[in-house]
Amino acid sequence: MNKNTLSAENRTKTLLSVVLGIICVIYVLPVLAVVINSFKLNTYVKSDTFAIPTGEMYAGFSNFIKGMTFGNYPFWKSVAFSAFITIVSTALILLFTSMAAWYIARVNSKFCKTIYYLCVFSMVVPFQMVMYTLSKTADTLKLNTPWTIPIVYLGFGAGLAIFMFVGFVKSIPIEIEEAASIDGCGPLRTYFSVVFPMLKPTMISVGILEIMWVWNDYLLPYLVLDINEYRTIPIHIQYLKGSYGTVDLGATMALILLSIIPVIIFYLACQKHIIKGVAAGAVKG
Amino acid sequence: MAEVSLRHIKKIYPNNEKKKGKKGEPQKKSNLKVTAEGVVAVDDFNLEIADREFVVLVGPSGCGKSTTLRMVAGLEEISGGELLIDGKLVNDVAPKDRDIAMVFQSYALYPHMTVRENMAFPLKLKKVPQDEIDRKVNEAAEILGITEYLERKPKALSGGQRQRVAIGRAIVREPKVLLMDEPLSNLDAKLRNQMRAEIIKLRQRINTTFMYVTHDQTEAMTLGDRIVIMKDGEVQQIGTPQEVFDHPANLFVSGFIGVPQMNYFNAKLVRTGDKYTAELDGKKIEISAEKQARLLAHNVESQDITLGVRPEHIALFGEGKDMFHGTVDVSEMMGSSVHLHLQSLGQNVIVIVQTMDLQGVHHDGIKIGDKIAFTFGGNVVHLFGKDGKNLEF
Repeated sequence: MNKNTLSAENRTKTLLSVVLGIICVIYVLPVLAVVINSFKLNTYVKSDTFAIPTGEMYAGFSNFIKGMTFGNYPFWKSVAFSAFITIVSTALILLFTSMAAWYIARVNSKFCKTIYYLCVFSMVVPFQMVMYTLSKTADTLKLNTPWTIPIVYLGFGAGLAIFMFVGFVKSIPIEIEEAASIDGCGPLRTYFSVVFPMLKPTMISVGILEIMWVWNDYLLPYLVLDINEYRTIPIHIQYLKGSYGTVDLGATMALILLSIIPVIIFYLACQKHIIKGVAAGAVKG
Repeated sequence: MAEVSLRHIKKIYPNNEKKKGKKGEPQKKSNLKVTAEGVVAVDDFNLEIADREFVVLVGPSGCGKSTTLRMVAGLEEISGGELLIDGKLVNDVAPKDRDIAMVFQSYALYPHMTVRENMAFPLKLKKVPQDEIDRKVNEAAEILGITEYLERKPKALSGGQRQRVAIGRAIVREPKVLLMDEPLSNLDAKLRNQMRAEIIKLRQRINTTFMYVTHDQTEAMTLGDRIVIMKDGEVQQIGTPQEVFDHPANLFVSGFIGVPQMNYFNAKLVRTGDKYTAELDGKKIEISAEKQARLLAHNVESQDITLGVRPEHIALFGEGKDMFHGTVDVSEMMGSSVHLHLQSLGQNVIVIVQTMDLQGVHHDGIKIGDKIAFTFGGNVVHLFGKDGKNLEF
């Protein structure tokens, strides 16, 4: 390789770095705006959106206090509902879809193939296409409370989760399960003592994806739940609007910041596992 | 600690040819029989295994040896016939209730458990008291020399160590039958030899019946009390290693057992009264009295035959009247012996020559292109009829 091609390669690399850097900034900017504006007085949010809140613009934590106490619906209740729905939904998804995926991957029948392709297909159907019939169905089946809405999430989350679990189970040598059955395990025992622990990397990555989705989801709970009684955090933020469409942007930003902090912390803590889990199914170990 | 009887065992995989047929030619993997019911993977397998016997199933890949073993384990359904362990019919008994243990080629250890937990797992499921579990695991670990790895996870072990753990997990249960499915195939050559020796030692120490599957004839010869040679789902011969080596039942067995392969010649068997001679290239080979008697007992007539001679039974000589002549084509130095590939009688003939005889004289003077003469006696020839069967059987 001579000098010219080397420098050409370097030029491409530099160009790529710049382009990717710009894309990164574009992605980070809205988050940054939320952080900055949550500490800014409401009147300056619109006029000086990207200004650092100093001097008279700086609002301290007043936006946070205002956001949490605004209106007649207590913020802690929204947090509790959000947390409950997220945890229960994710737990249901992990337990049931991993079991289903194990069955689909191991039993070679037309029934299993059909279910598998239905699940994969469900991933490409946009939520907006089914949301009205869904909210009606959920009402009829009394799935419109925070205690029952995890079942709806189970249905929507199953597609991706089964797809990922099936991919991973197929990479586990079947001899391990055969060894378990010779060692004295029935199907349930084989699942809980042998298969479940081996699924851990995929469990973590599916879990993270589902938690982020359910926690941030706005449309589904908005359509299904009775808004006067049950609000999740995204709905709570939406209701910071005053009666004539006046919006306290500072308070809104503050609550948005509060709501994304757990997700960001969670994501950073589990980042390593996400990559591991997504790659786990791809390469035979 | 049990006898195992396999009576007319059969395995048929239901036919999926219809579906495949649409896409193109029906895919035929091997020479397995295809009937209306499906592909016959194992056909009419009969074997009585005595208590504490070590039986090796050997054959090329796809011959049904693993399928047979898996049927004994209960991992594969039995399509026909009877399987008895300790006199009890177990055709429809779940694997866990058959009191067997199995060692897999891929080790099949539980990756999330330590070596100790792996070995204790079957005992825990049997609800054996904890102190007894500890005692048994420690004992097995000592036999296999893995005591120092007990607290490690399988991924921190080498292939040989993993296979020891797998064997350990199998023997802690003190099963009636210990099944091994190509346990050494994933190991490198040196480790394989070492583990083979350890299995022989292990066998002396534990009281159990062994069924061992391999495609490696050396493993089969060295380990087995008896060998079952299979091909295309059918048993070709059952016998002790010496029996199958000395008296192969057919061409396939004669070629499968023994390295390098037996040499085959197109020859003639001539019967004059009650006397038999083989004729090869116009030269007469006197057949030994023992073989004569067996041929006579079967009333074998004069016919064209395939004459088989093992490379180690061919002797090199100087010139002589009844010698065959050949040119050295390839010479493979093995250390203690040289494998010579000769061009002779219009075909390739392999001869094994010891490099040093008992007097310490080296025989390393043979070069490629040399013309040499060889011969073999009538006691070492194998006579196969046109259908490939040994005429002595």
